[in-house]
Amino acid sequence: MEFFTKFPVMERTALMELKKGIDLSFRLFSRKYGDAIENFFDPLLFFLVKLEKLLLNTPWPIIILIIGILGWLGSRSWKLVIGSAIAFMLIGYFGMWNDTMATVAIISVCTTVCIAVGIPIGIVMSKSNRAEKAILPILDMMQTIPSFVYLVPILMLLGIGKVPGLIAVCIYALPPVIRLTNLGIREVDKEALEASEAFGATPFQKLRSVQIPLSLPTIFAGVNQTIMMALAMVVIASMIGVKGLGVPILRAISNQYLALGLMNGLAIVALAIIFDRITQEYGRRIQRHRGQKK
Amino acid sequence: MNIKKILLSTLLVLGIGSFSGIANAGCGKVVIASQNWASAELMAEVDKAILEKGYGCEVELIPGATMPTFASMDEKGAPDMNPEQWANAVYTPLIKAVDEGRLVIANEAPITGLGEGWWLTPGSIEKHPELKGMTAMEILKHPEWFPSKEDPSKGAFVGCPAGWGCQLANANLYRAFEMEKKGWVLIDPGSAAGLDGTISKAAESGNAWFGYYWNPTSIVGKYNLQAVPWGIDFAGRDNWDNCITKAEQDCADPKPTAWTKSEVNTIITSKFAKQGGKDIVKYIGKRTYPGNVMNGMLVWMADNQAGGSDAAIEFLSKHEGVWTKWVSSKVAKKVKAGL
Repeated sequence: MEFFTKFPVMERTALMELKKGIDLSFRLFSRKYGDAIENFFDPLLFFLVKLEKLLLNTPWPIIILIIGILGWLGSRSWKLVIGSAIAFMLIGYFGMWNDTMATVAIISVCTTVCIAVGIPIGIVMSKSNRAEKAILPILDMMQTIPSFVYLVPILMLLGIGKVPGLIAVCIYALPPVIRLTNLGIREVDKEALEASEAFGATPFQKLRSVQIPLSLPTIFAGVNQTIMMALAMVVIASMIGVKGLGVPILRAISNQYLALGLMNGLAIVALAIIFDRITQEYGRRIQRHRGQKK
Repeated sequence: MNIKKILLSTLLVLGIGSFSGIANAGCGKVVIASQNWASAELMAEVDKAILEKGYGCEVELIPGATMPTFASMDEKGAPDMNPEQWANAVYTPLIKAVDEGRLVIANEAPITGLGEGWWLTPGSIEKHPELKGMTAMEILKHPEWFPSKEDPSKGAFVGCPAGWGCQLANANLYRAFEMEKKGWVLIDPGSAAGLDGTISKAAESGNAWFGYYWNPTSIVGKYNLQAVPWGIDFAGRDNWDNCITKAEQDCADPKPTAWTKSEVNTIITSKFAKQGGKDIVKYIGKRTYPGNVMNGMLVWMADNQAGGSDAAIEFLSKHEGVWTKWVSSKVAKKVKAGL
């Protein structure tokens, strides 16, 4: 009877030994390779530090001007340009300028890294069903595993700071761009592909001049999602020593500073809305452009 | 439809759970704050075991942290008890709450030999033997021994995570000692895991590390962190309470000072002091963990990845000599029987 009422559990000491064994082997691994891995990421750190310094040292009117120009290039909408300028001025007025710049720096680098890594993986997935089957479960895991779980190994391997923060953010923010690149390329019209084949296009030519251009709007939706998810991870990244808007939020959580938390939270929301609208509008514009051509 | 089913089954499970709790109600329901670090977790679990088994209370543990738990006890009268309240962070409001009869300090030193301060990893001393015996004031002249990862021309001083009481103190001391001018950066490790991560990483690879930590902790025991003497006097309670522990905008002119003597109390609400009765208050008053026993327990917890509840069982079975002195022999027998 006991078999049915009590779940057969691994023996207590054996379980403990197993956990200790996993920990110890990871510790040995990080002792052996930690420095090498850290050195590998040094160029990234250098880039991150420089970008943050650049953003912080640039006079604020120039930053707002650049945001405005980017907004205009992306969306061609005056409303959006003026809206983002006002949002940034409010952020600065409420004393969150430096934290916001730190956040913008890490988000931009994160997005760049995610695109650089994600789009090639997405293309590989779209080319091979086997690759797709192998990669999809990994993406599922990356998106659902609680971030605190992978913070521990990242900390042991790389310590605290910008690079581990960037990796933590990318683990969560990378999947959308991979998924949507894969989806976009797979959804390209079969007839368009057949036509290009009939003209004797090589697989690379097919990819470069037919599949990628036609799937750009979908890929762009993926980039947009990646930015959004990266912003959502700002607070988690701050837990391992990344400067930015997450730090005051952590302070607000543990001290019940309602206003502080709210203001910095809203600043993240404002950033998210600005990035989202600009990239979405841009995505819509390249789609409209395609529609006209047809 | 589905959601209804889930809700119904959760209610059922919760219902059954609370039934079994009511069965041994004696001193009533007690809510104890289990703060999010190892020694506090252990103390909360030991209190839970002793109060439940020995005094027939119905104990619920709720998660907490220094500031939120204190605020909640002060404002709302719940939880009933915080086994390990670090008093420095809340010195002024705590005294006020005690004077106004909302809270009671039931034990003024639940752990002996504890303290906050600045520490070095043993690796720092190996790399720079001059550090041996140096005071904090002398170390501050050598930022080049602790190069920061992000800007190697500066020295890294690892402070407290955002939101902890000690974060403000460290930030104000950073200003008071003019550390920025001396070439230091104040690193915010972001969280407890971040702070511990910087230490274990430095200690494992034998690198130099200089920063804030506190005792008793498994980290201090495990990595043999060296406490740094201050080399400067404590500059008075007024400077500490009204400036160093305040936010930067409320502390315009922090004076250089040593860290205040650390006080940890077990505080309970006056409601619980009445409801719990003399015996329980007496138990809490006597409950003092010797520092070395506590450090040993913390290293045990870290090595075995044990949570507070496993550690409480370990403590109650291995250190009978310690805890049986806290309670009457009758209660001790009941607790032993319940293990």
